[in-house]
Amino acid sequence: MMLIAGTVPVKDLPLTMGKVGAEGESLVVDGHTVPCAQGTAAMISAALVTTEYLGLEPPQALVAGDTGQGSGSKEIYEYLIQKVAELSPEVLALHYCLPDMALMRKLCESVRGCAKRPIMVADAGSMYAAKAAGLAAEFDIFTPDATEMAFLADPEATHPAYIARHLFDTDISQTPKLVAAAYEHKDAAKLLLVKGATDYVVRDGQILATIAEPDVPALEAIGGTGDSLTGLVSAFAYAGLELHEAAIIAARANRVAGEFAEATPATRVWQIVEQFPAVFKEHLCQWSGVCYIEVGQQ
Amino acid sequence: MAFLKRRKQSFEGGGLVLFMDVQDAMRAEKVLKKADYAVRLVAPPPELRKGCDLAVEINLVEQPGIERLLREKDAPYVSVVPLKVGTSELLEVVKVTDFGGWIMVVAANMKLAFDKESGVIVNTSGGGCPDIPHLHAEMIGKKLTEAPRPKDVGFTLCALMLDRALEESLNLWQGGSKP
Repeated sequence: MMLIAGTVPVKDLPLTMGKVGAEGESLVVDGHTVPCAQGTAAMISAALVTTEYLGLEPPQALVAGDTGQGSGSKEIYEYLIQKVAELSPEVLALHYCLPDMALMRKLCESVRGCAKRPIMVADAGSMYAAKAAGLAAEFDIFTPDATEMAFLADPEATHPAYIARHLFDTDISQTPKLVAAAYEHKDAAKLLLVKGATDYVVRDGQILATIAEPDVPALEAIGGTGDSLTGLVSAFAYAGLELHEAAIIAARANRVAGEFAEATPATRVWQIVEQFPAVFKEHLCQWSGVCYIEVGQQ
Repeated sequence: MAFLKRRKQSFEGGGLVLFMDVQDAMRAEKVLKKADYAVRLVAPPPELRKGCDLAVEINLVEQPGIERLLREKDAPYVSVVPLKVGTSELLEVVKVTDFGGWIMVVAANMKLAFDKESGVIVNTSGGGCPDIPHLHAEMIGKKLTEAPRPKDVGFTLCALMLDRALEESLNLWQGGSKP
């Protein structure tokens, strides 16, 4: 099972867990409709499209409504702390939640009780909590952007709003220095997919690949394109690819989807996500070496 | 033989609200607890002490919502600071990218893009706190001058940074002599 957990901006949505389906531009989880927009929903949407294409089980989503006061986040943490060992997901992807160091610590303790350790992915508030609590090394994949990479590199910062100015001022070409600092302080996951004008795939401090093509600068401005990237890498990891391969393919797919959508800063993330099947059809065989022949085709 | 067991620590806030006197600290703790914030009274480290030797530890990420509540309830405080000594100040600088028809302003981990001609917000991105997707939905499609201020309706540091991006966008837009 791939389990994606995070809050959604649907007021009064109770803690809900279930298999995910799609309905137009929205997601449906256990009968509740969630718009595919920036945040956990964009991540789930990307993972769903990918698992559908690969013929895998759709993701299970654990969501709760939260518009910033933290009650939904707390419910998610507490449910996972209680149930994660029983659920024993193969991939556990944690996303938008109010960063809470103590609850993240308890969750990591519970994960250690799983019969088989899941592939642990964190982005957004969950990544902030993991780093701030000194738990980054418990995770397999983080997907920071340039500022978040600076946050991981600043040993004193507990939120990106408090990073040292000289780290914020660095451009994406300085990523190798930031990566080295983050690993030195044990503030990085085993694998980092750093998203930016150039994407970096880093394993245990070593830069394995950079992806800069196609160059679609508008992606940075579109809310949810980082989330879709996290959904892609989680789904490819669930499919059994080596984590660095999953990251490289995810980075390429997100970029090509932006190109296919002719993205501008005014594009919505669902317009990117809806391109993924076409991107996979055209490129996935070549990128991954795993090729499908559809019935009825030569 | 009985053993006294220390209660296990279950709160790690990362931020401190500092006060001039003890009564203010105790009042703030009461106000915040009533609003369901996880807080506790602590002794601030000497290097962070401003007035009295009592502070309220908070989840630093919730700083904007907590400061707003204390102001609304007339609960005086001196400042909010990160608990870790050596942490940098809140980021004040922003970066601006010109996309031709649109401008994107980046403040820390938050980005806001607006249409240069109309001043309409076309996207917000970045961040990781739960108020950000909500603000995304609330702000997109509205003019910069008419959008809700994240510092007024958000609760987290991500919202505060989005507010910085909005403020700079307003400066750029109004500096460009737009209505």
